[in-house]
Amino acid sequence: MSINHFKKASLAAGIAGTATVTANARRDDAVNKLLAGIKDADDKVRTEAWLSAGAVGAPAVMPLAETMGDDDLEVARAAKRALWKIVRYAGRPGAAKEKRAVETELVVLLGNNHPVSVRREVIWMLSEIGGRNAIRPIARLIENTELREDARMALERVPTKRALQALKFRFKNAPEDFKPNIAQSLRKRGVEVDGYPCRKLVPKKKTNPKPL
Amino acid sequence: MKTSHQLNRREFLAAAGVAAASVPYLIPSGVLAARGRAGASEKITTAHIGVGGMGGYHLRDMVQRRDKGEVNIAAVCDIDEKRLASALKTAGAGVQPYHDYRHVLQRKDIDAVVIATPDHWHGVQMVHAAECGKHVYVEKPACCTIEEGKAMVEAAKQNKVSVQVGSQGRSQPEAYLAHRYLVNGTIGKIRRVDCFHYPSPQDNNPVPDSDPPAELDWDMWLGPLRWRPYNQKYCHGVFRWLLESGGGQIRDRGAHVMSCAMWWMGADGTGPVTVEATGTAPTKGLWDSAILMDVTYTFENPDWVLTWRQMPNNQLPPAEERTGNEPGGKISRPGYGAIYRGDKGEFIHWGGDGGTWVEKKARQWQPRAGAKDVYKSPGHKEDWFKGIKTGAKTIMNIKAAVGVANLCILGNLSYILGRKLQWDQAKQTIIDDPQAQRMMSRPQRHPYHL
Repeated sequence: MSINHFKKASLAAGIAGTATVTANARRDDAVNKLLAGIKDADDKVRTEAWLSAGAVGAPAVMPLAETMGDDDLEVARAAKRALWKIVRYAGRPGAAKEKRAVETELVVLLGNNHPVSVRREVIWMLSEIGGRNAIRPIARLIENTELREDARMALERVPTKRALQALKFRFKNAPEDFKPNIAQSLRKRGVEVDGYPCRKLVPKKKTNPKPL
Repeated sequence: MKTSHQLNRREFLAAAGVAAASVPYLIPSGVLAARGRAGASEKITTAHIGVGGMGGYHLRDMVQRRDKGEVNIAAVCDIDEKRLASALKTAGAGVQPYHDYRHVLQRKDIDAVVIATPDHWHGVQMVHAAECGKHVYVEKPACCTIEEGKAMVEAAKQNKVSVQVGSQGRSQPEAYLAHRYLVNGTIGKIRRVDCFHYPSPQDNNPVPDSDPPAELDWDMWLGPLRWRPYNQKYCHGVFRWLLESGGGQIRDRGAHVMSCAMWWMGADGTGPVTVEATGTAPTKGLWDSAILMDVTYTFENPDWVLTWRQMPNNQLPPAEERTGNEPGGKISRPGYGAIYRGDKGEFIHWGGDGGTWVEKKARQWQPRAGAKDVYKSPGHKEDWFKGIKTGAKTIMNIKAAVGVANLCILGNLSYILGRKLQWDQAKQTIIDDPQAQRMMSRPQRHPYHL
């Protein structure tokens, strides 16, 4: 590389670096502004904030998930709605890259270091936009008694072979009391299931009031 | 009646005699009549699933019919013990109470069920009832998802049961007058129908989640819905304002006003090609359905536009002055209705549900010789009974009702997603939007599923 070439390359790298720093700063500003709005005491400001969350996208997912645990119910609710806005915006046609970025962040939130209420919400978000990277993390939650029904339903909704394979695999290894649930999903996806007949028409609840 | 086909009269009476030791079984009308249909003069035996709110109204209405000797009432069912006890008092001796609707569906002496549970149960319970051979009256909206609607149409067809959906506006006396007035071209070719409605409420006093009251089976109230903790603002009476269960005002009154539009426009069985919605979100509280909402549906071949607009009260069209002697009486709910815009004039109606009030010019219009006439419903329940006994298509049959419910569902989906949707009516699917396509169905909790 000649000195001139080196200078040009350095200049280009410098410009690119500056651009990255600027982009990161802009992104951080957008996230901070969103969070400030979500935590505002004024309900109209909070609403304006969550309604505008879609375009902020993946960088806001983690901080919003943390804010879902806020002591102020209305702040927590605004954070949840903002997260849903991001999911609905990222899922629009032609936004595959944004969708993957949001999916990646959501998958992290399925980890057991996050509250059950957040994980449950995230499972349903992934049921709308989850692709191949979301299947295994969701399927693992079938081992979690608090979240397994939501995980089963999410896998049922994701229209991919991988999701179906995950359901089949989990059916084989599921505890006996949960097999009928997975059997239901498999039937829904067109798979014949032996030994676990559909229970939808079987009454199970007793009546207390007596006839007059 | 399907299940009763398998028994002849003697076998049935023997079986019923055994069963009578535990519950007071009645003779299903189908046993005494031609295969599959009650005889024209025979009583239909009904049961009521969901007996609060509109369910209470239907029960009281059916008690009046029973007292006139028109029907039998065999059972009442609710997952709220207070409501069930109250319904038992209304229904009187000889009526069996049930907590779990599947006990009702097992009874072979019951011909027909009236389902008036929250919206998120309509699809599942209607399909189950049809699969057990019961004729069904189900409250509107017919369904909460596109998938439920498809299953309901298929279940009614496969099991040959008569289904009436509770968009009773079509059966009102003035609805007939409006229909006749419009189909005769009195306002010309109609290119646009603008539905109007006042705003939805906001939950201004939100409360945290809590334990459900002792009388309520929260698990069964939720039924097909994903699990969530109980909240006082998410139950009887107010579930309407939650998108996942009640779907907001568009799925309540929209299912009435747009039902009239589809009927009068001759558009049952058709659907829009695009749907685009915007709305004003609540600023606080649990409820998440839009307070103000604008939805535009475009139809092609023939080309027309349907809109659903929730607007501030001061923008609503003024109600017509009336004496009270009109077929529908005075207008008691002027806050919703629709304006039909033709190339020769306009026409307005108010209401569209149990009260449907139309402009004077339509009431007074006299058909000329050769004018088209339209079906005149004998009453919404009477029309259903006729369907049960003769196999005639009901005025708000399940296919028509699903078509209307789909309008509501697609409007909400567009609002939730913040984008325009394209709809393929023939294939019953959203086009080119994978996320929206996934949202056409909603997985259901075991075992409360289609």
